[in-house]
Amino acid sequence: MINKWRAVFRGQKAIQICSAVVLFFFIVMLLAPWIAPHDPVKVNLLEKLDGPSVEHWLGTDHLGRDNLSRLIYGARISIGFAALIFLSSLIIGVVVGSVSGYVGGWVDSLLMRLCEGIMAFPNLVLVLGIVGIFGPGLMQVLLALMMVQWVYYARVCRNMVVSLRERNFITAARISGSSSWSIIRRHIIPNVQRPIVVMGTLEMGWAIMDISALSFLGLGIQPPNAEWGAMIHEGTSYMRSHPELMIYPGLLILAVVITFNILGEALSERFGVAKR
Amino acid sequence: MLQVREVSHSYGNRNWLDRSGSRPVLENISLTMDKGSCYGLLGTSGAGKSTLGKIILGIEKPSKGEVWFEGKNLYHSSRKLLKEWRRDLQVVFQDCYSAVNPLMTAAQIIGEPLRNFERYSPKELQRRIGILLEQVGLRPEDERKYPHQFSGGQLQRVNIARAIALKPKLIVLDESVSSLDMVHQTQILSLLADLRTHYGLSYLFITHDIRAATAICDHIAVMDQGSLVYQGGDRESLIQCAHPAVKQLVSSILPEHPSERIVLN
Repeated sequence: MINKWRAVFRGQKAIQICSAVVLFFFIVMLLAPWIAPHDPVKVNLLEKLDGPSVEHWLGTDHLGRDNLSRLIYGARISIGFAALIFLSSLIIGVVVGSVSGYVGGWVDSLLMRLCEGIMAFPNLVLVLGIVGIFGPGLMQVLLALMMVQWVYYARVCRNMVVSLRERNFITAARISGSSSWSIIRRHIIPNVQRPIVVMGTLEMGWAIMDISALSFLGLGIQPPNAEWGAMIHEGTSYMRSHPELMIYPGLLILAVVITFNILGEALSERFGVAKR
Repeated sequence: MLQVREVSHSYGNRNWLDRSGSRPVLENISLTMDKGSCYGLLGTSGAGKSTLGKIILGIEKPSKGEVWFEGKNLYHSSRKLLKEWRRDLQVVFQDCYSAVNPLMTAAQIIGEPLRNFERYSPKELQRRIGILLEQVGLRPEDERKYPHQFSGGQLQRVNIARAIALKPKLIVLDESVSSLDMVHQTQILSLLADLRTHYGLSYLFITHDIRAATAICDHIAVMDQGSLVYQGGDRESLIQCAHPAVKQLVSSILPEHPSERIVLN
């Protein structure tokens, strides 16, 4: 298993570099309390809107909070929660897709019509609707995004399982006495793994965008907590005099999303997976 | 040992919204197999041979009729008994590459039935897999190889090793040698004959190749468009049979000398 994934990286510059960048962001995210030079929510009105200095490398915002620390803590929400959405919707999607494709019949029809129902709405509209009902907040956004994201994994997974099911090794496994669950676990999931990883990497970029967009609209994270989208929103009032308040988080979102996209494209090329 | 009683089967539309378009593939098939025999099931593609094979294996419930195995009705059995039958009924498919999970090593492929039924320690399991590999003419070191590292003939041997792993009573050989070249066909056929005497196996040998069937089978049946049109023992009476489907099969054998070719009509 590990050797197989190691082979994926060998001689692939794009995959190596992007993975390194992703790894860097994850480390920063996890070690935020130790890396960040200041408390991200500590207000100091005497130092508001300062330029870069030895004390505050990237200056301070309109409440005198340290920009660098807020960016570092913001990564926790932007990337961390995107990863959470990615993982949970991936698990739900793969399980639903595998069951749907493997069992077939009316179970398959029911689950797939449900997926189509969810897909029929534009994602953001559905998320806005859910947040509208339950009120703004990070948890609501998380749940809402999860509820709309899993259908894509489920669809792709289901179609792959249907084509796998016709292969003889699934029949052979049944004849060998394997239960449906162990066939899904041993034969189906390993064989759908690679395309799903590619898809997940591309979706990860979208999840970051979605969280930032919703926070920008004031529906996700609530002040005073730091999040890149929310930081852009706070910076809009000072756009003329201090554009860097928007530029820093904007650049970070751009960098992370582009990294995930390049990584996804490179992986799909490496695995020879057709793009969605 | 195995009796197929008046089995008919049709494939319907899988969609529950639309059940129309059901298509009969087997009509009123009856046959009896004795313990230790090798039963050849001949017929052109689409005659329903593989479907009958699946029904006998217990994985496709026939629309009508019964299958009895060792005095018990295969499709009216408890779950426990059905699971026990998975030991006794095994299969080797035609396309050896699609019959194995491309991500598994030979050891994992052969070990799958063993893990499902036996409580071996990892060491015992490995020893057992080594023995099985040697029995089918491979080396124990081959257990670490992946399917794409084997040739077609070798991979078919891995498939055979998986089929015999649980010491079954009946193996359905569904065109098992048809995709191999002549040299490997002969080798695999003699391997199958050896294993049969060693384990006291019975074979249901599904094929379209009369020569392969007559080489190892002691009973031969011919199927045409879903029904049995001929059942008999030896090669001579098969060649004499007047049914057009049998004649067609017989005439498709390339003779040793071109002038001897049996011409239709």
